[in-house]
Amino acid sequence: MNRKVALFVPCFIDHGFPQAAIDTVTVLRRVGWEVVFPEDQTCCGQPGFNTGHWKAARPCAERFVRIFSDYQHIVCPSGSCTSMVRKHYPELLASSPWHGEAVAVGKRVFEFAEFLVRVAGVTDVGASFPHAVAYHPSCHATRELGIYAEPLQLLRAVRDIDLRPLPKEAECCGFGGMFSTKFGMISAAMGDTKAVNIEQSGAEFVTAIDPSCLMHLSGVFGATGRKLKTIYLAGVLAGSSASRTTAGARESAR
Amino acid sequence: MSTAAREFLRKAIVKSADLEHRATIQRAIVTYDAAVAKGKLRFADWEAARTLCAAIKADAIANLAQYLTEFEQHVIGRGGHVHWAENADQANDYVVELARARNVKTVVKSKSMVTEEIRLAAALEKIGVTVWETDLGEFIVQLRHEPPYHIVTPAMHLSRRQIADLFRDKLGENVEDGDPVRLVAAARVALRRAFFSAEMGISGANFLVADSGMVAISTNEGNGRLTTSIPRIHVVVTGIEKIIPRMNDLAALWPVLAASGTGQPITTYSTLVRGPRAGGEPDGPEEFHVVLVDNGRTELLANPETEEVLKCIRCGACLNVCPIFRHVGGHAYGTIYPGPIGSIYTPRTAGLSEWGHLSYACSLCTACKGVCPVKIDLPKQLLVTRRDFIATGNVKPAERAGFAAFRWAAAAPARFRLLAWMGCKALAAVNALGLSGTALDPVRVWTKYRSPMTLPKQSFREWWRENGNK
Amino acid sequence: METSKSSARENILARIRTANARPHPVPASVMPLDAIFPPITNPRQRFLDECAGNLTEVFQTTDAAASAGALETILSTVPAGEVYVQDDDSLRPFVALLEQRRRVRMSSQGAPAESTQATLTLAHGFVAQTGSVLTSSACGGRGASIVPPCHIVYGRGEQIIPDIAAALALGLVQAEITGASYVGLITGSSRTADIEKILVQGAHGPRRLVVILEG
Repeated sequence: MNRKVALFVPCFIDHGFPQAAIDTVTVLRRVGWEVVFPEDQTCCGQPGFNTGHWKAARPCAERFVRIFSDYQHIVCPSGSCTSMVRKHYPELLASSPWHGEAVAVGKRVFEFAEFLVRVAGVTDVGASFPHAVAYHPSCHATRELGIYAEPLQLLRAVRDIDLRPLPKEAECCGFGGMFSTKFGMISAAMGDTKAVNIEQSGAEFVTAIDPSCLMHLSGVFGATGRKLKTIYLAGVLAGSSASRTTAGARESAR
Repeated sequence: MSTAAREFLRKAIVKSADLEHRATIQRAIVTYDAAVAKGKLRFADWEAARTLCAAIKADAIANLAQYLTEFEQHVIGRGGHVHWAENADQANDYVVELARARNVKTVVKSKSMVTEEIRLAAALEKIGVTVWETDLGEFIVQLRHEPPYHIVTPAMHLSRRQIADLFRDKLGENVEDGDPVRLVAAARVALRRAFFSAEMGISGANFLVADSGMVAISTNEGNGRLTTSIPRIHVVVTGIEKIIPRMNDLAALWPVLAASGTGQPITTYSTLVRGPRAGGEPDGPEEFHVVLVDNGRTELLANPETEEVLKCIRCGACLNVCPIFRHVGGHAYGTIYPGPIGSIYTPRTAGLSEWGHLSYACSLCTACKGVCPVKIDLPKQLLVTRRDFIATGNVKPAERAGFAAFRWAAAAPARFRLLAWMGCKALAAVNALGLSGTALDPVRVWTKYRSPMTLPKQSFREWWRENGNK
Repeated sequence: METSKSSARENILARIRTANARPHPVPASVMPLDAIFPPITNPRQRFLDECAGNLTEVFQTTDAAASAGALETILSTVPAGEVYVQDDDSLRPFVALLEQRRRVRMSSQGAPAESTQATLTLAHGFVAQTGSVLTSSACGGRGASIVPPCHIVYGRGEQIIPDIAAALALGLVQAEITGASYVGLITGSSRTADIEKILVQGAHGPRRLVVILEG
């Protein structure tokens, strides 16, 4: 097997939360895979697709398919973006000349945890993380891609980790893409409910395979004065101190 | 923004912050979830049951004309009347005229969401008819002059205390400590008088059975039975999509509806009415009328993409699992049908421009898809509703500009970098000028409810350029 | 009074027919009904277990004399007042017994009164799957099974049928034979959970459903 992956870095991670992608690279290399980063990529089109702007989203999707059509394994540190390509490109590009290629690329794109366990065949990446951690099963990854066991397998293999079951884990954290800003009050309320459940678990950290959930929760923790911290799965596995976010202090200028 | 959208935002703000409301709903949902989990264990294969029910309803919708006319023939053959109503007015006019012609002074109603949809009670009250809602939850919200909170449990937002206060004020019944048993007894007494004095009973239909012309009505309380047994006129008001092909289909649909709706094996009174009282029967209505209501359903049917929405059997499962519903509650939507199904149904039948915002009140968590017993792809329906909402020009100029810029930027990495750079500079300027949190702050929509994100020192691609190949 | 204006009917049907004329995907093979529910190996026991769960009271008797005894026992717990009985030969033996203690009204005399304390009827069948009673308006009319606070059903063990599918088939046959205008399944007592999701028995229908199962 040609042990090379092309990294699909979601736009919001590239410009907003690059540590998630950096940690992903670290872990992939540690388990013996070469990583390339097709620099031409910009966005998979999910924001446009999810808000009904399909005409704006289509060229993004076609461009993505073109850029990634040469790669055998494409890995993405985001469940929702992976799902966009695998589950939603066929519909978005139903009438596009790129439809067939999109379906083919969809079969070769993997969410990070899914890739490690199902393709690379690895569950123990030699990580250590001596903290109480709760796993939040992000909606798109869990329900649309069926990825649930894999992140837990990876987490259980982490030395010294104290993995806590999360009450009502299946409830959405409230991010939902543009929903988080269109209906911020509901999004925040959902985040608050999720925060209560994380507190109940006794965990210090919450982790997930969708950094967008974690960005949102981190903001909710900060706004509600909670001591909880978020860390992307690859951050747990990579073990670098830069990986962790703490509850950001609420800016005084409002 | 439409009036309805503004109203929804206003209510969402209030309800999202209402922790007592949130706790009430959460308690109700915990009870529901436990009951449903138990109920599903009665099936050898719940997924197969869903597939079967989805197939039954798909068949019904795909051959709707054939089944509706078959149903109609049976009803007329046994002395019943069938009236077809294209819209709310036609449906209401028929029932109002009937009430007038028959000197009806009092009506008892068992639960029917479509009668709320067309506002039948108000139409009858206008001609001086007293309308009693007999489903306990509906009776309670009727006394409070508010719409039902949920399509299956209309009063789930109220505590026993609130209901006790209500009964004291409106019924003169003093149930101290709000004991539910005594509250139910008080309602029974009040409504019994109504059942025995009403000239007309109005029911909905859970299903219309084509091969035998049966109207299937399910209740736990028995109010559906009394409504359709005591008064001398029985009127069924139903959506045209309630049709199912065969009696035998109920062997799957009854248990599945009950399991999804309440976790029960079957609803206590699973009733099939074929017509007015037959010769030799000691009781039963002398007249039987079925009003088949369209009111936008044929719009859903005409569009191959939205046709599957008509499979809905009104179980309420999608409401109960929806995290948005759990946080804002049924009244915030401002519609008869809240939750995922309502957020699709209302824009499609009552106006995309006015109600399309509801399709966005969804985080696309897709939990609804997993629980729908007739396998409607609710998330897909929400997405295409959004798509069609945008296509009809309902975009705020800022959003339109934003996506145009995004589309331009996504065509080349250099452009995207530029857009991101501009965004960061704008944000820094806003902060420097002390405008953070004001209307000029581009990320105010984020920071209104969350602490600000720390912007990274460099993007991933910048890091990759420096470190990626080491 | 005229029924539907034909134009509304024609308009609606025209719109529906246009939509129905589109090709529709045939659903992939679906599992038959009996693969969706676990098999019922002991219908009688299942019926009894379900009744225990849905709060139907069951008196198992061996013969007519025992059934009469059960009826006496049941009535001793029913407040004073009229009993309404389905006018059927199978129930006639009980009428004399009832008339000793109470006012009895037969279904041939009309509908049950609002103040009727109990009714006694037959049933078409007893459904094991859900612990339900299959009844119709041929069993003493519609009100008999819904008006009083206590509904007593007299039937035989051999009337136990396995599941809802069987009940629907039997119910349809009975309706065709008798011309009954109402058929239904009754599963336990009237109930509601509309107040704080707390289950309360005896909403608008009978608080007690009692089955005398003979043989």
